[in-house]
Amino acid sequence: MDHEKIQYFNRSIDERGIVTLTFDTPNSEVNVLCFDALYELEEEIIEMQEDKRIKALFIESAKAHIFIAGADINEIKAFENSAQTVEMLGRGQEIFNRLEDLPFPTVAMIDGACLGGGLELALACDYRVATNDAHTRIGLVEVSLGIIPGLGGTQRLPLLVGFTKAIELITASKRLKGDKALKLGLVDASVPGGYLGFKKEEFIQDILAERLEEKVKKNRKGILWYERLLPVKMLIAKMARSAVLKQTDGHYPAPLRAIDVIEETLTMSLEEGLKVELEAFEPLATSQISKNLIELFFTSEALKKETFSKEKAKLVKSAAVIGVGTMGSGIAWVLASKEIPVRLGARKMQSIAGAMAKMMKSFERIKRRGRLTSREIGLKMDRVTYTTTMQGLDEIDVVIEAVSEDPAVKKKIYETLEATVKEGAVIATNTSSLNITNLVKETQHPERFVGMHFFNPVAKMPLVEVIAGEKTSEESVATVVKLAKRLGKTPIKVSECAGFLVNRILLPYLNESARMFEEGEEIERIDRLLKAFGMPMGPFTLSDEVGLDIGEKVSTILYEAYGERMTPSSVLSEMTAKAWLGKKTGQGFYTHKGKSKTLNNSIGLLQNGMEKLEDDLILDRAILIMVNEAARCLEENVVDNAQYLDMAMVLGTGFPAFRGGLLRYADSRGSANVVARLLELEKQFGERFAPATLLLNMAEKNETFYDEDKKDNG
Amino acid sequence: MTDKIQKERIAIVTALRTPMARAGGKFKKMQADHLAAVLFRELMLRSPVSVDEVDEVIIGNVAQPIHAANIARVIALRAGFPESTPALTVHRNCASGMESITTAVSRIHAGEGKVYVCGGVESMSNIPLVYSEKMTTLFTDLSRAKTLLDKVRTLLGFKPSFLKPIVGLMSGLTDPVSGLLMGSTAEVLAQDFGISREEQDVFSVQSHLKAQKAKESGRFALESMVVVYDEKEGKFLDFDDGIRESQSLEKLAKLKPFFDRKNGTVTAGNSSQITDAAAGVLLMSESEAKKRGLEPLGYLCDYAYEGLEPKRMGLGPVFATHKLFQQTGLGMNDMEIIEINEAFAAQVIACERAFASKDFAKSHFGESEAVGAIDPNILNVNGGAVALGHPVGMTGTRLVLTVLYELRQRKLQRGLATLCIGGGQGAALLLEVK
Repeated sequence: MDHEKIQYFNRSIDERGIVTLTFDTPNSEVNVLCFDALYELEEEIIEMQEDKRIKALFIESAKAHIFIAGADINEIKAFENSAQTVEMLGRGQEIFNRLEDLPFPTVAMIDGACLGGGLELALACDYRVATNDAHTRIGLVEVSLGIIPGLGGTQRLPLLVGFTKAIELITASKRLKGDKALKLGLVDASVPGGYLGFKKEEFIQDILAERLEEKVKKNRKGILWYERLLPVKMLIAKMARSAVLKQTDGHYPAPLRAIDVIEETLTMSLEEGLKVELEAFEPLATSQISKNLIELFFTSEALKKETFSKEKAKLVKSAAVIGVGTMGSGIAWVLASKEIPVRLGARKMQSIAGAMAKMMKSFERIKRRGRLTSREIGLKMDRVTYTTTMQGLDEIDVVIEAVSEDPAVKKKIYETLEATVKEGAVIATNTSSLNITNLVKETQHPERFVGMHFFNPVAKMPLVEVIAGEKTSEESVATVVKLAKRLGKTPIKVSECAGFLVNRILLPYLNESARMFEEGEEIERIDRLLKAFGMPMGPFTLSDEVGLDIGEKVSTILYEAYGERMTPSSVLSEMTAKAWLGKKTGQGFYTHKGKSKTLNNSIGLLQNGMEKLEDDLILDRAILIMVNEAARCLEENVVDNAQYLDMAMVLGTGFPAFRGGLLRYADSRGSANVVARLLELEKQFGERFAPATLLLNMAEKNETFYDEDKKDNG
Repeated sequence: MTDKIQKERIAIVTALRTPMARAGGKFKKMQADHLAAVLFRELMLRSPVSVDEVDEVIIGNVAQPIHAANIARVIALRAGFPESTPALTVHRNCASGMESITTAVSRIHAGEGKVYVCGGVESMSNIPLVYSEKMTTLFTDLSRAKTLLDKVRTLLGFKPSFLKPIVGLMSGLTDPVSGLLMGSTAEVLAQDFGISREEQDVFSVQSHLKAQKAKESGRFALESMVVVYDEKEGKFLDFDDGIRESQSLEKLAKLKPFFDRKNGTVTAGNSSQITDAAAGVLLMSESEAKKRGLEPLGYLCDYAYEGLEPKRMGLGPVFATHKLFQQTGLGMNDMEIIEINEAFAAQVIACERAFASKDFAKSHFGESEAVGAIDPNILNVNGGAVALGHPVGMTGTRLVLTVLYELRQRKLQRGLATLCIGGGQGAALLLEVK
């Protein structure tokens, strides 16, 4: 054996002729199916196929929690031209065909993540055994990265689970637990991790006695007879497409292409089917959308490791939430759902009991989906305690203050808190707009105060902006960053500017939209265009959701901080004066009744002009004003890098992921183009469009926000 | 004085109870383990000791629910104690909430541990109805029947009368030796001591009035927490809802005797109420508290349990207190606040008479002097179970904490908490503040 080369697989054979091939990537905690590993696997297969001693092959992983995490995403990201992609992937398909064609039974022993290419390898085996431990997740998740399974997944999965299920699993990137995979016939056994060895022995006995096939056949579903009927097949595919379109508005081609391939190849031979799969894979793999999604994936991986601090986080055993309004009760719910004891503090018992009812509603929703039982909910709610007197806070590790955005109220609470909490307790404020340093000026220990800005609705919004005041300690930052991660959120540290990062960028967008309306443009048209651009909802729908009063309040803060370029549209204040606050008052830009909305009949009163704009002008006014502000944020180091900024916008505002984020979108247009357009807008609509210095410099050197040469920023 | 060796006092560092909610009412959807979990989590948050310093959790509970075997363990886990903390359920009927405390005292004195969390809980709303023996036999036969024919044959033996349930609550309140319901034992005492219906009703109105005052003055808020009892609807209880503001002699006079319909005097109105509640305390030795620099709510100095005739179980306080006084050398005059659990008005009045009676002392203890008359002004000063209710497993703990809070309020030093125990026992605890 060549010892210079990395060795991915270890092979051993016992006296019965049972071979165990163990995937064990050296110096790594994970197994990823890179091409080098694939080529080595091929060599192993070639050696084994002639070996008459071998009675069966078991493929295992030496890694805890991981069988094979998937293909090497860096390699997919590097796919540039079609010829190279087709050649490399075609080779991969051949290797799996060889595996499938081995003259003896092959079994994949899946204990841990078995995703994408990892599952495709397992599918090329004759049998699959999974553990039903929590870490075992099995699925073809390629479409979440903008591609489709390219190593036979679209061909071999339907053979096991049927046409309909295969489409469902692939288009939704489902990650199945062992028991569920067994139920669908995707694996042939699902056992507790501790029993995996026994199961292997049982399989060996059954293989040697030639009765395994008979045994497992009963559990496999396979393609149902009626799924092969053309009209049925077409109907199923059609329904699947419309379900995908409803989810994605047509912005994501991969799931649709996956359906096409599965439909087209269902009755083809494997060889033909693989060709179709490959043809469909190639353009997706080299597409910008896939690159964007992969980039975001890398950013999320980087953020998982990011601590934003030099110090270690403190252990958080319990938390308190002071103020139990919408945000407070939402934060309390997330804490309780992650089984962190949480003490609610408010002045009135009535508000506390109301917050608990809200929390229960959130739990009940999950219970209806079958994800939680009453017993489990009861145990989570056991950890929720309450006080109207700030009593019983002396053991709490982190207090999250979420009272109204009134500095006087907050300061008073900090004074009380500092008198009760233990030394070393971290106090976080969920302020969305107030300056932390100013808030904590009079406190005894400003170092323990930190901003922890959750987004509404807390249960759903994954972003948390972490803000350090001037005196905030590294330890406090580390503690809330770690806590946010424990809550399943993505924390991103931003600096202490007005509006922090997301609101600072988003508000100009809402404001600019309001201006366009004021000047004469139609509300519904603007909403439609931005939704078509990929935003989860148009700016006016969003304003109504958030509440015009809140929008106005934040706009004012931003105007005070940044001056002219953030001058609020007068529409906001006029609407607030009329109590047209949006959804909560039933009247905003739209009139809301239940879940339906129609344009507010009287909204025209607020319109001053008759100006109608071109589609692309509307888009550019709305989007480029954000790009420009984002560039300023980078320039001022509000956030560490363009990747984090883009992730914050995707997670915090739903900025379309297929565009890779706001700055990635700007990159796709090029800095010269963006600057030229901003200059035009400046001329036509005012100074607020004057390009940021950073953009001007970039345009001059024709630079992009993302450094494309840097292959790996994970 | 008996031979019992006087040992170090036990510090009751923190004490807390839930509101007392009438059974079938506010807390009816909270099983005992849930209600107690809320109480004990809050108790620990308010105490200066953290959960991992606790050596054992000991909880009294009478009608131990079938879904929570060793309910103390279930409560401890749900209240946030570490998995490594052991937990024990104790049962001494109506004194279970005292037994939990005195069990810990023995353990501390024996050097087995330093810090204990004790208390009691009862959800009388959730005491189940039980199938009759005939019905359960039918179920067993049915499950054993192999063929369909067998099953049909078994089912044919069914009679609707089989479905008449055994009311668990009533069974629990019946003394199996004397065969008397607890209320009937009170009737026995009313007869023995010649206690009129009116006397009992007057006593009961007083209980409500005193409790009402303690509720309004904020006195009960000192010892009680708020409980969110319906998390889905966001409803909470922050007072004892058995107290009837407008309780009057006229109203009480209208009630029919419950236990002896013909000649009886004991009614639902002059008996303790059926109630759901939990109470808890954190204990350690006096020296341990000193070492930690804590100022405890008070101290438990000594205690006594004593048995007596089951059908006169209501006199248990007299027997237990007599024993306690013998152990300590103290007398009734040394007590500044006294709580006798109001299982029945008649029963407390009987105790008062027996305490004051030379004859009683002579015939039962062979002593020439009465055990000691009680000054009515220091007895059950904030009302008792007639107004608040008697959640059997919890009451013992409540008496301890209510005596201590009251002594502190009045800046007094020494008190007595005593109660009668179904089955014929009494318990008496001597408490001090400084």
